[in-house]
Amino acid sequence: MGEDSLQASFDFFGLSHEASMDEVDKSFRELSNLYSEGSLATYSLLDDDVRQEKLESLRKAYDRILQSYPNGPNTEVDSERGEESLDAESQRVCIDADLQQRPGLFLQQSRKALGLSLQDVATRTKVRSSLLQDIEEQRLDFLPAPVYLRGFLREFARMVNVPDAKALIDAFMALHERDK
Amino acid sequence: MIDADLGGANLHTFLGMSSPKHTISDLFRDPVKNLQDILLATPFDNLGLISGARAMLNVANLKHLQKEKLIRQVSSLEADYIFIDLGAGSSFNVLDFFIAAHNGLMVVTPTPTSIENAYHFLRAAYFRKLRHVIRDLKVEDLVDSSLDEKERFGIRSPRDLMAELRRRDPTVGELIDRAMMSFSPGLIVNQVQRHQDRNLGREIALACKDFLGIDVVMAGTVRTDEQVLMALNSRRPALTMFPQSHFAADVRRIVQNLNLAAEI
Repeated sequence: MGEDSLQASFDFFGLSHEASMDEVDKSFRELSNLYSEGSLATYSLLDDDVRQEKLESLRKAYDRILQSYPNGPNTEVDSERGEESLDAESQRVCIDADLQQRPGLFLQQSRKALGLSLQDVATRTKVRSSLLQDIEEQRLDFLPAPVYLRGFLREFARMVNVPDAKALIDAFMALHERDK
Repeated sequence: MIDADLGGANLHTFLGMSSPKHTISDLFRDPVKNLQDILLATPFDNLGLISGARAMLNVANLKHLQKEKLIRQVSSLEADYIFIDLGAGSSFNVLDFFIAAHNGLMVVTPTPTSIENAYHFLRAAYFRKLRHVIRDLKVEDLVDSSLDEKERFGIRSPRDLMAELRRRDPTVGELIDRAMMSFSPGLIVNQVQRHQDRNLGREIALACKDFLGIDVVMAGTVRTDEQVLMALNSRRPALTMFPQSHFAADVRRIVQNLNLAAEI
């Protein structure tokens, strides 16, 4: 993927390529909310399939930008991604996210390394997949109260075999606390 | 103020006036009359009313020439500001007055039905204006064929259409795009009650920009206020009867947002 597609991803959020990750996060959250199914503001504006498409392209653009940031996942993995199946992808996912800095990403990589979808984890942990996704993306202001969050993190970490779950949970909770 | 909600005109009641003696329907009975002749004085300084009340049934469905004449006369009225109150819906009458105005303002309430109507209206007004622009530029062929192939090219919104036009003919596409930029209606969210609806206007504006490629200007939010109902039942404007109400404060903020110089 070239620079063009990266710029196109920024365009998607109406941001310049110099935007900070925070700005990208904020815009991604805002637009995902705007186009979510229950959104009053876009009621009747899009057909269901167009809505899904829109959300999907938002997510792709967001992922593309995420990969381009220094602390993002390995770019080599990204460049080889594409149309291959999840199985093929899982072979190559390496877990290199900083557990302290990006515990959410660490969980996501651990999940993908096992070839599990969000839905798989949701089914086994009984935590709904949108919440798991919020955890992975560290969408902190979307997360529940600490007492619940801690439990969800524990389940999630256990399910994807995080070696030092306690360190990850503590790091995540510290980020959550700081965000307030 | 022009009450152009033909068939449902009632602004005189809001102002505490009795049934108007002269109305827009006079114009069509007597071709010599013009808008200035039917301008009514109101109980308020510097505010005149042209009423569409008691319109005969056929006036609700203006003929094309009558409508053009009316719009021409409105543009030559002498006033600092002319407010045209339009009825709900997306009929050609409503669309043509809306497009003819320098600034169009849409009012929605935080309900799915109102928002659905607003998007329908917005698209209808956009394409009506586009039709005018295309006619003026004499490029009907280009656009008609783009619209014909709507399905095949996956054109779902004004934004897609504009991209397709630019692709086919960059020069004309640019001209149309520039002419359409003046299509930038304002938005007021009325009767806001729930906390979560306070940002609704901003969200709608964002969706219009992002999905439709239309710049909608957020003019403001008006909270639900029972004093409005009390004023209406006294047949006095809420602004003068309850100048300290939420409603009055919200309206004043809208006036500010729209850069209207007014003392209210």
